[in-house]
Amino acid sequence: MGVIGKLFYYKKKGNLKRLKKWEGELNKCIRCGYCYELCPLFKSQNWESDTPRGKLMLIYGMISGEIEPNQQIVEKLFQCFYCKNCSDNCSAGVPVTDILTDARADLIEAGFDVEGTIVNINEDLCSVCGVCVPVCKYDALSIEKVGKDENKIVVDKIECRGCGLCVAACPSGAISQKEGCEVTLPELHKKVTDLLKENKDMKAIVFCCNWSLFPGMQLSESPTLVKTNYGLIVSMCSGRVAPELVLNAIEEGAWGVMVAGCPPEECDHDGNYKTRRRLVLLRNMLKELNIEPERIKLDWFSTKESAKLTKSIDDFVKKLEKLGPIKKMEESKKIGG
Amino acid sequence: MKIDIEKLKKIVGEKNLSDNLADLYVYGADASVHQALPTVIVKPKTIEDVQKIVRYANQNKIPVIARGAGSGTSGHTVPIDGGIILDMKRMNHIIEINPEDMLVRVEPGVVDDDLNRALKPLGLFYPPAPASSRIATIGGEIAANASGVRSVKYGATRDYVMAMKVVLANGKLVNLGSNTRVHSSGYQLERLIVGSEGTLGIVVEATMGIRPIPKYRCLAVANFDKLEDAGNAISDIISSGAEPSMLELMDKIGIIAVNKAMDLNLPEVAAIIMFEADGNVKKAVDFEIEKMKKICEKHNGTGIEMSYDLAERTRLFSGRKKLFASLSRYKEGIICTDLADDMGVPNSKIAVTAKKIHEIAERNNVIMAVYGHCGSGVIHTKIMLDPKKKSQWKDAEKVIEELYDYVHSIGGVTSAEHGIGLSKAPPWKKARSDILPVMRSIKKALDPNNILNPHKLHDAPDDWVGATNLRYKVG
Ligand SMILES: Cc1cc2nc3c(=O)[nH]c(=O)nc-3n(C[C@H](O)[C@H](O)[C@H](O)COP(=O)(O)OP(=O)(O)OC[C@H]3O[C@@H](n4cnc5c(N)ncnc54)[C@H](O)[C@@H]3O)c2cc1C
Repeated sequence: MGVIGKLFYYKKKGNLKRLKKWEGELNKCIRCGYCYELCPLFKSQNWESDTPRGKLMLIYGMISGEIEPNQQIVEKLFQCFYCKNCSDNCSAGVPVTDILTDARADLIEAGFDVEGTIVNINEDLCSVCGVCVPVCKYDALSIEKVGKDENKIVVDKIECRGCGLCVAACPSGAISQKEGCEVTLPELHKKVTDLLKENKDMKAIVFCCNWSLFPGMQLSESPTLVKTNYGLIVSMCSGRVAPELVLNAIEEGAWGVMVAGCPPEECDHDGNYKTRRRLVLLRNMLKELNIEPERIKLDWFSTKESAKLTKSIDDFVKKLEKLGPIKKMEESKKIGG
Repeated sequence: MKIDIEKLKKIVGEKNLSDNLADLYVYGADASVHQALPTVIVKPKTIEDVQKIVRYANQNKIPVIARGAGSGTSGHTVPIDGGIILDMKRMNHIIEINPEDMLVRVEPGVVDDDLNRALKPLGLFYPPAPASSRIATIGGEIAANASGVRSVKYGATRDYVMAMKVVLANGKLVNLGSNTRVHSSGYQLERLIVGSEGTLGIVVEATMGIRPIPKYRCLAVANFDKLEDAGNAISDIISSGAEPSMLELMDKIGIIAVNKAMDLNLPEVAAIIMFEADGNVKKAVDFEIEKMKKICEKHNGTGIEMSYDLAERTRLFSGRKKLFASLSRYKEGIICTDLADDMGVPNSKIAVTAKKIHEIAERNNVIMAVYGHCGSGVIHTKIMLDPKKKSQWKDAEKVIEELYDYVHSIGGVTSAEHGIGLSKAPPWKKARSDILPVMRSIKKALDPNNILNPHKLHDAPDDWVGATNLRYKVG
């Protein structure tokens, strides 16, 4: 191999110097797989390589030289929403998400460029208004000068947590995330539609923030069980629940929509403040259309407060049953559409 | 190995098959020390899918390894010869809950905790629950005859298997067992599949017994300054005729580890035991708890706390539930390997075995915690060592040989609940040489081409360290 070839080889392979520091921690992972149950990505993808355990195995394989990083491996490693359900609950104490952040840094340095769960800016649609920049609590978005009078929005692929708040905030619809992880607007829309189609008795759609709790994360399906008259959708941050998702649910026949998020001071992304503002506006909008505003509910839940969540949903559904179905569909359609 | 990927894709659909390295590497490992690469992973959804895949594999003599959650501790699902990993997790429907006949009918990929979540609103439960119940699948539990904390009263998976649909190595589907509590109609073939570790057939549906959730559960914890005292208390509780619904031991190493990992603030005494009684009559539960408490006190148990409250019981038990992983935090530079993990000993031998384990560990430069569902005779250990040092693997080999020789000499078994797989095969084969030919004949009759999880159990290599790559970077 010539000098240039060697340089290329090293560049591509990288020396994974940040990751190598984690060897001791990776050895501490007993590979019990308890993290499977807690991982929203595993629930949506159903491949063990998408679980925290799977990702740690891949990283171990790379630093021990057993496997060479390739595009598919790197793609897997860049898929994480940083809900930290895994690291917070790992009794071997393995700091999974810190290791994944270092993996991103090392692999970008090694020349890999993948999408993962990171947001993508469509420059043709982006007006560089900058609304997204302060929305991101991780400073993953910035405005960069690219010409004399030309700016563009740049995404820091190491820092982006994939929460999707910027996607919901962008007025031009220029920010998107890869399909397949059940977090994009079209995917969430589809989930809402499917839930309402599958169960004609469904009264409410409930969007639950994945950070504050992980409801509905069970891995098995049980169609013969008692059917609920509400549908749970685990979104990422509650700030991700765009207004059109709520309106879409109402348009598709839901009697009401509830959003469950972290309490204001506990949100990792400050997304719940945005949700609160957004839902106030939506309620006003319903009022104008002569639809009862209480058909949209927002409530806060701390980690693992699932009993409180169940009660809050029950109360909401009872209220909706009293209100009955929405009558003014025609006008709400105008707004939703 | 030549596998017709396109043919398999046609069976399960493109997105339910993978032969890319990212997936192969992950599906080549489980919770054991072993690692190997399969050739392809397929995810069947229906019984017919499984039949077609197995039929194809049999015609072409390709290994097929059924995989649930891959939480096996001894390399059960590690594809030692490559081949097809049959990921059963897509077959995850609870098909029927039948309180009248007190049974459930499930697909094999249903997760144990999910089943219990579904049963709870009906006041029912599926008792065998291993500690790994949050991910372990019913298929994996059947194939390993899993048991758990409540097995001391409620028994192991084998006690709940009623009927089963199994795909044999030739792709044929057979119905085993019945929907009745007992049957005396020929060979109990459903029982043969229990503990078969994926080597005799693929479970594609299971009918399991269920029980009503008792009205009262009371959990108590007692501290001991001597490990032997705790061991003797356990043996006495069982032989006294008391009926614990849980009887667990945890030694000081385990206590320190969970305190470190989970900030639990448990008293760092030589050992604690946790005992539970359950039932529908509170006075009867009180009676059992009092009886066990007195036995603990007789063996110098102190600081006995007890509670009926669910939150408090969960708090008392949280350390035990996550003990295995916490052991990795016991000491810097030392990690917890899944070796010598679950022997079973006769009830009278708990204390001597616990003592012996610490003695063997110390003599061989490793650390071993002693804990487990000791009420049912299950003693868990783990070998804690520095995985980077080659010499430590030699130490581990010596420990395993010595320890199992001892366990077998006192009438114990190699594995009480996790199964044999790869890492426990050498000591087990040594102890059970009399039954190996019988097992091999059964295997040959059911799987003449040796495609179902080959080279495990009776056919596993005699050198567990060299059987596959180790998951750790040694040296
Ligand atoms: C932290 C931890 C704690 C544990 N605690 C316990 C415990 O308390 N008690 C206990 O008994 N075990 C325990 N285990 C071991 C393990 O979880 C059990 O053996 C469990 O039953 C395995 O289930 P699985 O779905 O992960 O199976 P896998 O590991 O995927 O497979 C286990 C075996 O079953 C076979 N198999 C899987 N599905 C099928 C099928 N459909 N048909 C035929 N064969 C199949 C596989 O080929 C393999 O041989 C523990 C493991 C860990 C990591």
